Order: sequence, then structure tokens, then C-alpha cells
Amino acid sequence: MEPQLSWYLALSAVLFTIGVTGVIIKRNIIAMFMCIELMLNAVNLTFVAFSSFFQDVTGQLFVFIVMTVAAAEAAVGLGIIISIFRNRETLDVDEASILKL
Amino acid sequence: MLALLFILFAGMAIGCALGVVAQRNPLYSAISLIGVFVSLACLYVMLAAPFIAAVQVIVYAGAIMVLVVFVIMLLNVEEEEHRRTRLKFLLPVAIGLSAIFIAEVAFILMTVAPTRVTPATAGTSVGVTHSIGSQLFTQYLLPFEITSILILMAIVGAMTLARRGGLLSSAARVVPGAAQLPLSLVDPAVGHEDTRAITAESTAEAAHLLGVDQPSKRD
Repeated sequence: MEPQLSWYLALSAVLFTIGVTGVIIKRNIIAMFMCIELMLNAVNLTFVAFSSFFQDVTGQLFVFIVMTVAAAEAAVGLGIIISIFRNRETLDVDEASILKL
Repeated sequence: MLALLFILFAGMAIGCALGVVAQRNPLYSAISLIGVFVSLACLYVMLAAPFIAAVQVIVYAGAIMVLVVFVIMLLNVEEEEHRRTRLKFLLPVAIGLSAIFIAEVAFILMTVAPTRVTPATAGTSVGVTHSIGSQLFTQYLLPFEITSILILMAIVGAMTLARRGGLLSSAARVVPGAAQLPLSLVDPAVGHEDTRAITAESTAEAAHLLGVDQPSKRD
């Protein structure tokens, strides 16, 4: 039996939901960041699945661009995390509730 | 056969994703996340997208996760401690809402007829580097260029955020004499409430204190 398109979409939905749950329940800012990466990857799986099942390369180009955006996000996000840690000596998001470094 | 492979890799992905959320130590979360990326790369190979699979391993599991692990090591993150849960009265509401959500998903899976599309097989030219490159540099050239500008902005932003001190330009000159400067000029980590000051007798000494030391021409 061949894997159907709906299987991939279901897997992607499960991964995305796990990522959302992690962003909500985690308090460590690095762990929240990794859960955001997980959500991005779930969306990438959807793109590649549609691209493969409809024989269209556009979806894979989107994945390529999503990956570069994720890399830029990683650089800036980790810069912000280091800056917060330098000022507050903690990575707890509840401690960083003021919109000011 | 392919279905078995799918179940294997999907199970690996879901298990590692649960590990990312369940682990209390961020380093273990990062390693679980690498497991998710690798199993997703295997699924991409099954979907006849070898280029995206390779980029997934190189960029995600390689570059981005090395950066994350590096920051975890640099900041010496402690494990999350257990805390009492706040807003306990929301727990039954959450269970009810998630039950409704699961019921909706099950309803859709039952009623909507699945589409009969066949996936690309290994012999197709959809996912190979040639087709991706030719599309990326012809039809989708504008998004590509915009992405490069985005990365340039990210580089500048990351450098601005992460640099320490250096707020005073090297062209600044302190008037010779007993100049009093707030300590926050030298060390931005010190808040503005801190009223301690540094004292310098000459420009060279002030430059040394401010960390903008350089062989000066006059003085």
C-alpha cells in the first residue's frame, strides 16, 4: 500500500500541533524557539508533499525560501536571546515581560 | 513496503517531537529536534525530493542546530524547575476544547473523500536540483533576491544585538582634565540608575578606560 497524500498532511498537522503546544507550555526561551522551528518544519512537510503529489516544483521552492527565512530567524532570535540573558541573567520568558532590554 | 517506511519515519518524527516538548533540559530538546529533522529528511527522500532532503540535513540539522546548541552551551542553561500550575480552573476548558477539535478532525477525515493522486516516483524530474535551480533563477528570481536582502538585514541585526559595549565612537575625545563620565558609558550592562563614575586625567587614559584604545596621533 502506497502512502497517501492525506497521511503526510496528517503527520504535518500532528507535528504542528506538538509545536504549538510546546510554545504554549514551555517557559525557557530557547525551548520555545526550537518549538517554532518544529512548526516551520511541519509546514515544510506539507509543501513538499503537495509538490510531490501534484508534480509541481513550486512547493519545493517555497520550502527553500522558508529555510532561508528560518536561518535568518535563528541568527536574529539567538542574538536577542543572548542580549536578554546578558541583561537579566535568566532565560525565563516570565521574567522578560517588559518590552525593553 | 513504502507504507512501512512511512510509518517508521513518521513514528520517529512524532516521537522526537514529543521529546522536544517533554524534555526539561534544553540540550536534550535540541538533540530530539535533530532527530525530527533527520526523519523529515527521510520522508522528503520518499517524496522524491532529494535536493530538499539534502538541504534539510545540511542547513537545519547542521547549521541552525549547531547555532542553537552553541547558544545553549554559551549561556549554560539550567534545567527548568517544576512550578505549580497557575489558572487551574482552565484545565477542564482546555480538555473540552481539545476534545471538540479532535472530533472535528475525525469528522472531516470520515466525510471528505480522499483525492486519488499519485506521488512523484524516483524517475521524475520534479525534485532534482536542475529543475529547482532553473525555476529559482528564472520565474522566482524576485523572491530569491528579496531573500538575500532579508539575510543581509539579519546579519546586521544579529551583529547589532549581540555586540557588547562599543557605544562610544573612536572619534570621541575627552577634554583633558578631571573628566567625570557615568559608568554606563563604558559598560552598558550597568543601568542608568547606577551613579558611579569613572575619572580620567587625559584623553589617552579616558580612551583606555572606555575601551577605544588606539595609538593616538596627538596628545
